[in-house]
Amino acid sequence: MRLEDFQFHAPGKLAEATHLLSVLEGTARVVAGGTDLLADMKQGRLGAAHVVSIAGIPELRGIEDRENVLRIGPLETPNRIAASDAVLRRIRGLADAAGVMAGYQVRNLATIGGNLASAVPSGDLPPALLVAGAVVELTAHDGIRTVSLADFFLGPRKTGLGPDEILTAVIVPHLPAGSGVAYEKFQLRDASALAVVGVAARLTIADGVIATARLAVGAAAPTPVLIPEVAELLEGKPPGAEVFAAAARIASEEVKPISDLRGSAAYRRDLVRVLAGRALTRAEGRCRNEEVPSC
Amino acid sequence: MLNEITVTINGDEHHLGVRQNETLQDVLRLRLGLTGTKKGCEVGVCGSCTVLLDGEPVNSCLVLAASLTGKEVTTIEGLAEGGRLHPLQASFLHHGAVQCGYCTPGMLLSAKALIDRNPDPTEEEILSAFGGNLCRCTGYVKIVEAVQGYREFLDPEECPPCPPPDEESPYPVVGRSVIRKDAPDRVTGRAVYTGDLSLPGMLYGKILTSTIAHAKITKLDVSRAEAFPGVKAVITAKDVSNVIYGVSPARYDEMIFATDKVRYIGDEIAAVAAIDEATAQAALELIEVEYEELPAVFNVADATAEGAPVLHEKYPTNINVVVDQNFGDVEAGFAEADAVVSRSFTGNRTYQAPIEPHASLARWEADGRLTLWSSTQTPHYMHYMMARVLEVPMAQIRIIKPAVGGGFGGKAETTPLDFCSSYLAKVTGRPVMMKYARNEMFMHNRGRHRQEIELKIGVRKDGSITAVKQTVHLDGGAYTSFGIITTYYAGSMVPTLYKLPNYKYQGYRVYTNLPACGAFRGHGCPHPRFAFETLLSEAAEAIGMDDFDIRQKNAMTPNTSTVNELSILSCEFPATLAQARQASGWDKKKGHLPKGRGIGVGCGGFVSGAGYPIYRSRFPHSNAVIRVLEDGHAATLHIAAAEIGQGSDTVLTQIAAEEMGVPYETILMADCDSDISPIDLGSYSSRVTLMGGNAVKMAASRVKDQLFEIAGRRLGVPPTGLMAMEGRIFVAERPEVGMDWAEAARIAFSEAGPLVGTGFYEPPRLGGSYKGAAVGTSPAYSFGTIVMEVAVDLETGKVKVLDCTDFHDSGQIVNPTTAHGQVHGAIVMSIGETLMEEVLFTEDGQVRNPNLHEYLIPTAMDTPRISSGFVDSYEPRGPFGAKELGEGATLPIMGALGNAIYDATGVRITELPITPEKILRGLKEQA
Repeated sequence: MRLEDFQFHAPGKLAEATHLLSVLEGTARVVAGGTDLLADMKQGRLGAAHVVSIAGIPELRGIEDRENVLRIGPLETPNRIAASDAVLRRIRGLADAAGVMAGYQVRNLATIGGNLASAVPSGDLPPALLVAGAVVELTAHDGIRTVSLADFFLGPRKTGLGPDEILTAVIVPHLPAGSGVAYEKFQLRDASALAVVGVAARLTIADGVIATARLAVGAAAPTPVLIPEVAELLEGKPPGAEVFAAAARIASEEVKPISDLRGSAAYRRDLVRVLAGRALTRAEGRCRNEEVPSC
Repeated sequence: MLNEITVTINGDEHHLGVRQNETLQDVLRLRLGLTGTKKGCEVGVCGSCTVLLDGEPVNSCLVLAASLTGKEVTTIEGLAEGGRLHPLQASFLHHGAVQCGYCTPGMLLSAKALIDRNPDPTEEEILSAFGGNLCRCTGYVKIVEAVQGYREFLDPEECPPCPPPDEESPYPVVGRSVIRKDAPDRVTGRAVYTGDLSLPGMLYGKILTSTIAHAKITKLDVSRAEAFPGVKAVITAKDVSNVIYGVSPARYDEMIFATDKVRYIGDEIAAVAAIDEATAQAALELIEVEYEELPAVFNVADATAEGAPVLHEKYPTNINVVVDQNFGDVEAGFAEADAVVSRSFTGNRTYQAPIEPHASLARWEADGRLTLWSSTQTPHYMHYMMARVLEVPMAQIRIIKPAVGGGFGGKAETTPLDFCSSYLAKVTGRPVMMKYARNEMFMHNRGRHRQEIELKIGVRKDGSITAVKQTVHLDGGAYTSFGIITTYYAGSMVPTLYKLPNYKYQGYRVYTNLPACGAFRGHGCPHPRFAFETLLSEAAEAIGMDDFDIRQKNAMTPNTSTVNELSILSCEFPATLAQARQASGWDKKKGHLPKGRGIGVGCGGFVSGAGYPIYRSRFPHSNAVIRVLEDGHAATLHIAAAEIGQGSDTVLTQIAAEEMGVPYETILMADCDSDISPIDLGSYSSRVTLMGGNAVKMAASRVKDQLFEIAGRRLGVPPTGLMAMEGRIFVAERPEVGMDWAEAARIAFSEAGPLVGTGFYEPPRLGGSYKGAAVGTSPAYSFGTIVMEVAVDLETGKVKVLDCTDFHDSGQIVNPTTAHGQVHGAIVMSIGETLMEEVLFTEDGQVRNPNLHEYLIPTAMDTPRISSGFVDSYEPRGPFGAKELGEGATLPIMGALGNAIYDATGVRITELPITPEKILRGLKEQA
């Protein structure tokens, strides 16, 4: 196994990094934790003449609980996210997901920015962020833009991130009171495994009625996807096992899974249905600050 | 261009110029010689390269060295302070948490970070912290116990508590949980594995392999590779021996490099030696190969179809082994039965997946001899095969086996690495190191054969078995490897557990254009045992009998000759059944668990060493020399048996100490080096405790005899009345009359020079006279029973193994801690094989999952609660009554787990692995 030679850059400031990317004109790859990039490069899946490490840029760290949003720096690791009080308070389902990613060491190295930018369909973090309506901030040398995460993913390992852009923040709007987010993962062993299917659910319940419902699925379509039909079905109805089951059925019909090593398309549809039901149930509990144990 | 970095490693500041693409792992291993940081997968899955980066565990294979300025790195070499073990290291030693040791440094560093952030972790937190550290030996149980118990070792002044005395042992050393001989080196990162070695001027080699499953080679041009800067040599078939080799002489069918054609994706074509691994790898891509593709076959049905393409001309039907054995009259037996059950089963092709990749280092010495260091579990067979292929006398080759990081059968063959490193070293005049990357291990493979089994069992109403008929087709891959023996074992071991009055077995091994299969723990037997234990439970159900009752009814008894003429002396199988039944609460649980919960029983056992060697040889199977050091306070044990993690060095030294009458610490293990230690056939067929142990016991007894002569003279008593124990020789009837053991040894040396004892072991002539009667013979057999409890998620099909209750008849246990460790490891490995493991192929014969993130083996999080016990037993042919354990312990699991899943769901999955998807499909069909 061999890591091809490349030019390594480690800018200490964001402006230097974006400048470098603009000069290198698409011949560079950005690396943060390196858990995806180096593994892919070693296995010959990717090559790059230049590697720009953003790991040493202090402003890309930090989890800030601001007035209306939670702002997560792209260098934050799954272990830090899983243990963050702000994350646990604002979007517990993201902590669920961060805590079941890969193995402990990888969770120390990997970053949320990398997990989103790699756009692996089975990534654990995207579904929980999708249901919370997260946006990503993309910074180039000549400007900053924000893109909703739902629009960010374009295909397997493909995103809207420009060659001269760096993902500089994940911004999660605060959910109203009475909201809950949960993530359910199905894996073939209980650690260090990719999701066969991952499902995140978010509910906001007001006056006994579902005001907002979001369901997102990983590993069952070319990208992590929101299932809008679930919102249509659930919103305006009181929560309950029956409507959740109906929503879960719809989700399993709407996804577009493939068959691979980890499972057939048909099995994935079954899993989407089961996990969607469980995620909705747990999210509903969290709306009331109650923890329904995960199966 | 180099990047300058300043990094603190184990407290020392280093200023280094590193290449842009260099990882922390390579800097530690290659620049600083800190080889305690291991290399197992290189992509962040196995965890064997774990180090602490600013106090947090990370995979050093995924960290670019160029990014390290200002960071602090702690490796395993930095864990012990001032020569004093860290409490975790001490705890790992005392809890027996170390087997092959290859995962140990990573485990220790993960554990260190855990207790630093949480000094009192719960079991769940410990398991979670180890989710990214794969281990293939221990089953994780003792590693978790070691972390739970580390506080007992916090005070460095206090002598660490000794392991609890094992009261049942009648012996002072045998039967005691002494600390493994090799464990201190393994917890400190000092153990050296082949891939850790480095010699002056060392080159690195890589092998070019076929990208097409079946093809004629029409063009091979290495000129561009030869011209590549840094390349020192390129070799192809014309540069090497054309001697055909393999494992069993009757089916040698391999050559170092393909000459006429390639037969699977991975077949070797050429090899390169270069100044470093990356250069060698790059040069491979410059070798031009043109193929004329031939039709290929990838399964038994296609390979045996009319007009199928032929892999080897000598076997025009592609069937290269046929076994047809008939004992008694099965048709009459079935006619007598009240119920006849039959079913088809399919075993899975699994891979041993040791955490240490294969490595080989060769150097030709000035005197024209070859020294070969190799990660092998059979150094003698490698010695024999190297000499045969290189066409030189064995004496011209020296084989050294450094520490080996697990084998499980996958390191039981001489590999292309061994041949290529030797030739490249010869051509270049420099030492050559070669290693398999993880994907190359999967391509070379030699894993478990996929077996297609037809099984039929007849029983009377009282449960007694009247007849058994089994037909097995084995998918062998492109070469024979161990395949003759596998095919025989698949049948010959079926009658060892239960008394079968009539038995018929037909076995067919088939060539396909896939990597060759070989020997894997339990060699040939786990799939037939899975089939048998499953179908026996079905037979019990058919006649309304309890699973345990039918097993007890037919269970083997001591001093029995089986229907296929295998001689069984000790047998406490009925006791393992009784104790497992009682300890598991079987009678309270069976039939009373809620849907989704299930309990199942399975049984199994194995040979304690094959009765005959692989090639015809007159050498005794095991040979030992003990040399007492001049002052009498230490003795070295020389035996080229292969410690590969299972603990054989420890068991053999215990046996030596017991027989000589000295403390365990007195015996030192000499290197496994063919120039230093005499032949032992190696670690396969679960043979070392019994065979190596008998040879060691004889050598020790011959040392003792010499000292008794001296002591008898000195004490004025006949030597026959003397005993030796714990470093003292004394008169048996008057223990107060005696002398110091070491003093007697000093006198011996002064009077007659070196005090040496030699011993050997040759099994008795065993077995019947029918064709293939040799396979399955053994001086002794083990027996075991396991009860497993599972919870099945009825919506997803996911199985969680909750509890295992295992009882084994392994004769006298030599070291209870290492023995339990073997059982734990066997259980967890077999759970992996039963539930999740399978090597998969694309339509054109390429391995689809040649890595540890797609070929899944169990993690710490997948480990159930395990209770393991041993029944009282004494094997007259074993040293101090001991017999095998390591392979036999795997055999009961598959059947037990399948039965438990059936109990939980009502679904019988007969095709391994029993994946959640298959279970869910079964549940749907049921509904």
